[in-house]
Amino acid sequence: MINILIIEDDVNIAKMIKATLSIVNYSGFCCYDGKSGAEEALKGSYDLILLDVMLPEMNGFEVMEQIRSCGTPVIFLTAMQDVADKVKGLRLGAEDYIVKPFEALELLARVDVVLRRSNKTQDTIDYGDISVDMGRHIITQKGEPVQLTPKEFDVIVYFLQHQDIAVSRERLLSSVWGYEFGGESRTVDIHVQQVRRKLGLRDKLITIPKLGYRLESQDTV
Amino acid sequence: MKLWQKIFLSSLFLIIAAVNIISITLLSNNHKLLIEREKEHAISEYEYFTLTLSNTVIYERMTSNKLMLSDTEIAAVMDRILKRGSENAMGSTVNAYTPAGRAAGTEAAVYNLANKQLISSSGMSGLYELDDFNSYISYLLGLDAGYQRENFLTHTFTCDDGRHLMAVSSVISFEGKDCLVIAAADVTDIYALRDRQTRFVRHVSIISAALISFLLLATTIILLRPLSRLNTYTKAIAEGNYKLRIRKKGSQEFRELAGNMNIMAESVQQNAARLEKVAEDRQIFIANLAHEMKTPLTSILGFADLLRIKKTVSDRERAEYAGTIVEETKRLRSLSGKLMELISIGCTETEKKPVSLPEMIRETETALSPILTKTSVSLNCMSEDITISADEELFKSLLYNIIENAVKASGNGQQIDLVAAMYGGNAVISVTDHGIGMSEEDAEKVFAPFYMVDKSRSRKAGGAGLGLALCVRIAELHNAKLSIDSKLGEGTTVYITINGEECL
Repeated sequence: MINILIIEDDVNIAKMIKATLSIVNYSGFCCYDGKSGAEEALKGSYDLILLDVMLPEMNGFEVMEQIRSCGTPVIFLTAMQDVADKVKGLRLGAEDYIVKPFEALELLARVDVVLRRSNKTQDTIDYGDISVDMGRHIITQKGEPVQLTPKEFDVIVYFLQHQDIAVSRERLLSSVWGYEFGGESRTVDIHVQQVRRKLGLRDKLITIPKLGYRLESQDTV
Repeated sequence: MKLWQKIFLSSLFLIIAAVNIISITLLSNNHKLLIEREKEHAISEYEYFTLTLSNTVIYERMTSNKLMLSDTEIAAVMDRILKRGSENAMGSTVNAYTPAGRAAGTEAAVYNLANKQLISSSGMSGLYELDDFNSYISYLLGLDAGYQRENFLTHTFTCDDGRHLMAVSSVISFEGKDCLVIAAADVTDIYALRDRQTRFVRHVSIISAALISFLLLATTIILLRPLSRLNTYTKAIAEGNYKLRIRKKGSQEFRELAGNMNIMAESVQQNAARLEKVAEDRQIFIANLAHEMKTPLTSILGFADLLRIKKTVSDRERAEYAGTIVEETKRLRSLSGKLMELISIGCTETEKKPVSLPEMIRETETALSPILTKTSVSLNCMSEDITISADEELFKSLLYNIIENAVKASGNGQQIDLVAAMYGGNAVISVTDHGIGMSEEDAEKVFAPFYMVDKSRSRKAGGAGLGLALCVRIAELHNAKLSIDSKLGEGTTVYITINGEECL
């Protein structure tokens, strides 16, 4: 279970972040001001801290300086689009920053990147008879290895990490191919079809009209 | 051309010109004086010479025992004297130291005025080579004999060999015959002296010019140095270093200029600071606005996205998510409404007319009655009969906002006191609550846009942090000032001080 500390003064945003994290089964704990946030960060063992910049009592940068020693990766949440602010946050040792307002999946994607970097994500994912070994980059079905291209591998891993979530083509494109990739959504369709065919996920990896795709989780019938 | 160059060159030119004019005038005066003296000297020599001539002629006549000497005899006498004949008629040697001897050394010429013929001459060869001397002779021969007899005429000639000769002439009668006698005196020394002095003055003036120019240059540069210092400072100030002040040094004009420039820099600095403050306030306002807009937007976008992407959403979750979205949307609506109000107050013309203060307070009280009933806070109003010039709607909104704030700060059943009275020529309205109060630090910032003492409480109450900013604007339009007096836990008093000019 991944534990994430949310330090955010706006109750509704904190609640929203917690709800967003819960859909990928990450547990969130909320602090509503800098002081208690810093105390909580130093006390508890968290895998990641989401830290708002504008906080009462103590701003995000001050909190950052205090909690640096505990080594927990930090992502800044900021309403500022100021480059100086972002640079300041990153200089202080933050892993990333997210500019408000953000979409739920963007938050999850950034969180995943940081967690993966600090090896906090699971190494293996099991899904029915499919088993993915992230470290060795191998995917097996019923014990037999399945040949997938690197991008097909990334696509199935993304779906496995976001089960029961409707993923838009754009989101998939930016998460798997990267933000710079100016590809078309057709590329996504072709890869999804290949993954479906190779792993026999015709019934599970379903198309949602006008939105994208969703991988149904195993336990739902 | 630079100022110091202009000053330097013009004064140098003037000084050198003045020195030269003065020395030339002095020299020429001195020269004239010397010439004059030499002239007198030459004339007395001439008189002596002519006297010797006439005496010799008379002596000759007497020794030859004649009644009258003939022309040729006179010419012979003249020749003897002029051509330095060493013997006189009696055969005795003419001593160079006797008057006759001295006269014999004189360069002279004698003309017969009757037939204009040269009788005799000696040593005048240098003069006869000059054209202007020859024409001078003919001029003299043509002149009235009577006039010449009375006067001695002089004229100085420069010979080709560099000698300066002064010709003295007059008409003398020998044996009843008018003769023009010209004698030349050498005045070369005087001219040589003049030339020497001129050369000396020229040398001195060149040396002194060099000296003067050096001193002048130094003085000019030293005197004008404050100017270049002022220049440097001005440039620095112009480049934005408004803190710079110029040291008052140098002559009085420069000190005054420096003083005035300091005054200028001071006012520029103040203006720049004011503009900076305005820009900074605006920056803060925009940053706060962005924050205030993005916070509800983040919740709205996040929850809406959750509703969109989640496969199954329980009823409880849906209610919670949608509820938050509605709540945050309302917050945005309130923010935009307040913002519009704030902007429109500055844009539209306020319509001021005389309104009764107690009347407005009563109406505001009525408008607030639902909130007052809900929170069971009592409002106790006391007002003198004051009439002010105000935009009724805006002023009521000011009162409403301030009383509403007091209500928000008060607990159930507490009392709010409103007192309106004339105080020191101004109309003062005070609104006092006995609620939560705030710290001094908060009280200072409370008028700034988006400042909220307790964010979460304020947001729950639907506040955007713009209420008091709005009040400040309205107060400004009414020539009024807002001030706050608060103690944490004891309550708050807000004063609206309306300038006496607005009271009728």
